[in-house]
Amino acid sequence: MQKNNDDIFNLILASTVHDMKNSLGMLGQSLKSIFEHIDPAAIDTKANNLCGIVQYETSRVNNSLMQLLAIYKLENEQLPFNPSYYNLYDFLDEQRLLHLPLLEAKNIDCEIDCDEDIEGVFDESLLGTVLENIIGNAIRYTKNKIAIRCNQNDMLEIEIADDGSGYPEQMIKLEGNYIHGINQSSGSTGLGLFFAQKIAEMHKHKDQNGSIELANGGALNGGRFIIKLP
Amino acid sequence: MIFSLAKKSTLIVEDFAEFARSVRAMLSTMGAKNIDIVYNAEDAIEACKARKYDVILSDYNLGQKKDGQQLLEELSKYHLLKSNCVFLMLTAENTSTMVMGAVEFQPDGYIAKPFTGNLLKSRLQKATDKKDALHPISRAIANKQWEVALENIDKVSKENPKYKMSCLRLKYKALKNLKQLDKALELVTKIVSQRAIPWAMQAVGEIFYLQKNFKKSLDIFKNVTTEFPMALEAYDWLAKVQHELGQPIDAQTTLTKAIEKSPKALQRQKNLGSLAEENNDLPVMTKAYREAVKHSAHSAFSSPEEYLKLTTALTRQINEDPASSTDAVTKEAEQVFGKLEKAFSSSGTTKLRSSVARAQLYKANKNEEKQKKHLADVEKNLINLDEQISANISLELSESLREIGSEELSDEILNEAIQQNLDDPIFIEKASKLSNNQDLINLSKQAGQYNSKAINYFKNKKITDAINYFKKANKIAPTNINICLNYVQARLKQAQSDKQNIDSLHIADQILSTMPNLNFSDHRYARYSELNRLIQLMLQERE
Repeated sequence: MQKNNDDIFNLILASTVHDMKNSLGMLGQSLKSIFEHIDPAAIDTKANNLCGIVQYETSRVNNSLMQLLAIYKLENEQLPFNPSYYNLYDFLDEQRLLHLPLLEAKNIDCEIDCDEDIEGVFDESLLGTVLENIIGNAIRYTKNKIAIRCNQNDMLEIEIADDGSGYPEQMIKLEGNYIHGINQSSGSTGLGLFFAQKIAEMHKHKDQNGSIELANGGALNGGRFIIKLP
Repeated sequence: MIFSLAKKSTLIVEDFAEFARSVRAMLSTMGAKNIDIVYNAEDAIEACKARKYDVILSDYNLGQKKDGQQLLEELSKYHLLKSNCVFLMLTAENTSTMVMGAVEFQPDGYIAKPFTGNLLKSRLQKATDKKDALHPISRAIANKQWEVALENIDKVSKENPKYKMSCLRLKYKALKNLKQLDKALELVTKIVSQRAIPWAMQAVGEIFYLQKNFKKSLDIFKNVTTEFPMALEAYDWLAKVQHELGQPIDAQTTLTKAIEKSPKALQRQKNLGSLAEENNDLPVMTKAYREAVKHSAHSAFSSPEEYLKLTTALTRQINEDPASSTDAVTKEAEQVFGKLEKAFSSSGTTKLRSSVARAQLYKANKNEEKQKKHLADVEKNLINLDEQISANISLELSESLREIGSEELSDEILNEAIQQNLDDPIFIEKASKLSNNQDLINLSKQAGQYNSKAINYFKNKKITDAINYFKKANKIAPTNINICLNYVQARLKQAQSDKQNIDSLHIADQILSTMPNLNFSDHRYARYSELNRLIQLMLQERE
């Protein structure tokens, strides 16, 4: 019976998420159409900014839905994990592309510092969902600049840094226990970090596991998110 | 070079009209002029019959009927895609949900919805670049020219280091098809020794299986399913290996796990049903074939088997479980028969099998009147049959008819099958257990021996001796198609080497015109028609 309830919940969750995502897609598309119908001269900076906010919030909800569904599946051993070789630069470039409209609207410079020859082993779709969330947050908290930097030594390391005011001290202190960062009263973004940690840990090689790390400072003197994959 | 769709024909398959329109707008900005939109997989198949598209964007969720993956499978199976067609799957979820399944038919990429025009463009461009670069390989593979494919793989891989992994995967496929198993094993073992890549691990297990090293294969697939619990194909393989090692109950457990994770796989449900039948687990057998029938309706891989197995299970339920509600079970079985006869309405064999199974159902029901009625249908279907029944199906039918007490029809089918398959010793062995006509069995064995003797003479170019023995075999089993065709071929050979020999041609012509009719779909039809053509040609020349 329990099994049966799980199946039903799984089905309801998946189809509801599907439905909500369709609606979100339409929302974004409709907003775009509204802008196409308005005389461009009438669109001022304020309207543009408001439009950017709607787009940003839409993609945030969408990304949260993806994470929610993925975590549910992970708990039920139903989350596919399919690591393969990918060109890291191409992958990161696409991540930037995802956020391009917002980056342009908010006039944020996003640079990628990554050797074009690096072939990394990871699950493209899952790591993509992680980075989409982290970059989205960086856009929210940065002032003018985001830097995506990576290198491959023993581990494949991707860092997303911004020039904002950095992560709150209590968040950095969580060090791997990001589940405690999910705090309803503060509306904290702990879900994204918790998800990132889970996905990082799924990546294993020999006796090494992936991990994430938060820090402040660095070249941009803001928040730094680092994910290390074996 | 700027990416443009100006010269490409594109198809959007999306059940959500608003979304389809927005995708069309994105494609237009990339220069696309020929954009077709359909709202379900069935229309997409029709569209692809009418036109070969360069680019297809299909949603994965397409409502109640076929989904995007099933669409791709059907288009591939019926060769409705150009070998360089770019097929992108649009998905609502994290994309790897589907990636781990069907290795055989994979799209060229996935995009999670919602997406921007920029992202679509980037994915399309990447997929197109890759497809173009790999085209010399995919073309050779499409034509099953594996040697050519191998040569092209090395070339392409050298010129495009970016696609090295894809090339290695194709190389594995080519080596496997060329039966160079040692080389294939070496290739994938090397990949796996560096990183645990799911497809390569599976490939190692597959080669061990093909080399009949089942113990090692078992270890590998156990390992894959533990490390990657969603690598569903690995469960299919694991079950296959367990079955091979004489562990059908473990195999059933393995497949049950895979089906809990993804019930929507026709072949997996059929395999589970077959294992449950072997394990005498009637409830699981019934459930699995019920699911199989459900998915069969939307699959390019549907067959009468799943329908007939389901009605067999239901009939057994009536026989073995007196507590079950006979009326409800009978009603379900009748619906299944209805669906079966509709789905395979052009197949005489299926009609025949369906009528036999219906008679079995009413025998279980103790409804003599209906049983008789369906036995009358069996007789009618047998008379109208316009194709040869395969050896195994003949055995199955003959056995079923004997069970319901119709000895006469059972013998008729069995005797015909014995005549047709006397060159198949495994079949004759099975048939001799069923048949009470020992004379026929003995004669058939005799004819089978003459036939194989004659084939040996023919191979050694002793045509006169070959004709001698084919003639003897043909005399015992005049309706056996294989022997008829063999005899005709030997006669033809004789006529070709001796220009004066018109008699041989007349005899060959005589046999061809009196042997049983061959259906166009029979695998021997091509041989028959080529022999016939040559003989008619030579007869004209010489008379």
